[in-house]
Amino acid sequence: MKIYSCCGNESVTKKYFCPECGGSEFEEKEVSDSGTIYSFTKIHVAPTEFAELAPYNVVLVDLDEADCKVTARMLNDVSIGDHVTLDRIENGAYIYRTI
Amino acid sequence: MTETYIHGIGMTKFGTLSESSMKDLLLDACAEALKDAGRPKVDAVFIGNFMGGSISNQEILGAIVANDLGLGYIPTAKVEGACASGGIALRQGILGILSGEYDTVLVAGVEKMKHASTADVTQAINAAMDTTTNEKSAGLTFPGFFGVLANRYFNETGATKEHLARVALKNRENALNNPLAQFQKPATLEEIMNARMITEPLGLFDCSPMTDGAAAIVISRKKSPIHIRATAQVSGPTKMQDAKNLLSIPAIGESGRIAYEKAGIGPEDIDVVEIHDCFSMTEIIAIEELGFFPRLEGWRAVEEGRTKVTGDKPVNTSGGLLSRGHPIGATGIAQVYQLVRQLRGNAANQVENAKIALAQNLGGTGSYSTVHILERV
Repeated sequence: MKIYSCCGNESVTKKYFCPECGGSEFEEKEVSDSGTIYSFTKIHVAPTEFAELAPYNVVLVDLDEADCKVTARMLNDVSIGDHVTLDRIENGAYIYRTI
Repeated sequence: MTETYIHGIGMTKFGTLSESSMKDLLLDACAEALKDAGRPKVDAVFIGNFMGGSISNQEILGAIVANDLGLGYIPTAKVEGACASGGIALRQGILGILSGEYDTVLVAGVEKMKHASTADVTQAINAAMDTTTNEKSAGLTFPGFFGVLANRYFNETGATKEHLARVALKNRENALNNPLAQFQKPATLEEIMNARMITEPLGLFDCSPMTDGAAAIVISRKKSPIHIRATAQVSGPTKMQDAKNLLSIPAIGESGRIAYEKAGIGPEDIDVVEIHDCFSMTEIIAIEELGFFPRLEGWRAVEEGRTKVTGDKPVNTSGGLLSRGHPIGATGIAQVYQLVRQLRGNAANQVENAKIALAQNLGGTGSYSTVHILERV
């Protein structure tokens, strides 16, 4: 997982300017895809483009090696605190699985 | 402090209004507000609307209002800020008056949703998220964000699904007394708890409905008994994964803080509140963010009945988005409609001797929030 950091702020999304210092120099680093489930929801009513996947889980993963979170989809049910890792990337979505 | 006053209000019934077009609803609410204000000369029009383009293929709402109501060659605009479109439209009207450009402004909000399928509306509402990200690709929905938030809130507090249900039940009970509300059938705690899941742990009653409806208000620099004491607006994170603290929606807290500062008062001075309960969970977060109750303790206030009409901080006496209904662009204006009725002393679920009122309107998953503080003078 690629992480962008500046002023101690780490994020999986790249921004033009740092919200703290206004700078545009972000350090890029590669960290482990693994993390723990910070929270989740099982979506039963989905928009048209995801309707055939429902019900599916959307999870917020607290990354092990960075001070930031990433949103991902999981097919199996999870609980807060479960250890998970990236299984694959599918149409721009991170698909995670339980370790 | 703003030198801006409310002179007239209008609102259609909220619900399934299949006989009326979006334009019909908008014009009905605007005409009622203008009559209530005594048909003043209007200098500008701002309309809050979110999905008129995508669902009804209808834009130019400002010009339609000016033309069909015979308001003359005046400036008009549609304002979009997702579910905060109405609140932002009101703020733009106030700023137009404060700038000195206008004396009197007509502000309205409208949405027509019930003719479309749930899947298509869910898709259209997803436009209120940043759709270019891995988050959207993961299949996160708008309600889904609040489901993720709720599960974490449960994890960190003593709150359970029953507390969410108590919010939904309170707002349903309030709606039963509001003839303009969408839902007028009583519900039980058990029914709410056992309703079908939308996005866990949020069930059907935890989610605001699709609604047709419109609301309008006339504001002016000329004095009236209803003074708009403060207007505030801020933007916040547009992505769940960017939230520093998932259990805080900083746009709500910051817009509230600025509004209190401008009004020179605090949360303890507010007599009656309309807040943006797009989901039952959101109402609990908002009452914390606005300083009515300590952080992570809003659920206790719900449990103790403090946000009921009979409580010390009555929230959503109209029935809220959950039961009054949520025609997206109209919601921010409908909140003010209810509060003006409260300050005039003729509201559904009237709070005795209400003098200062607060409306908070949220857009996106915390992308926008407006706060307006009204005072009877």
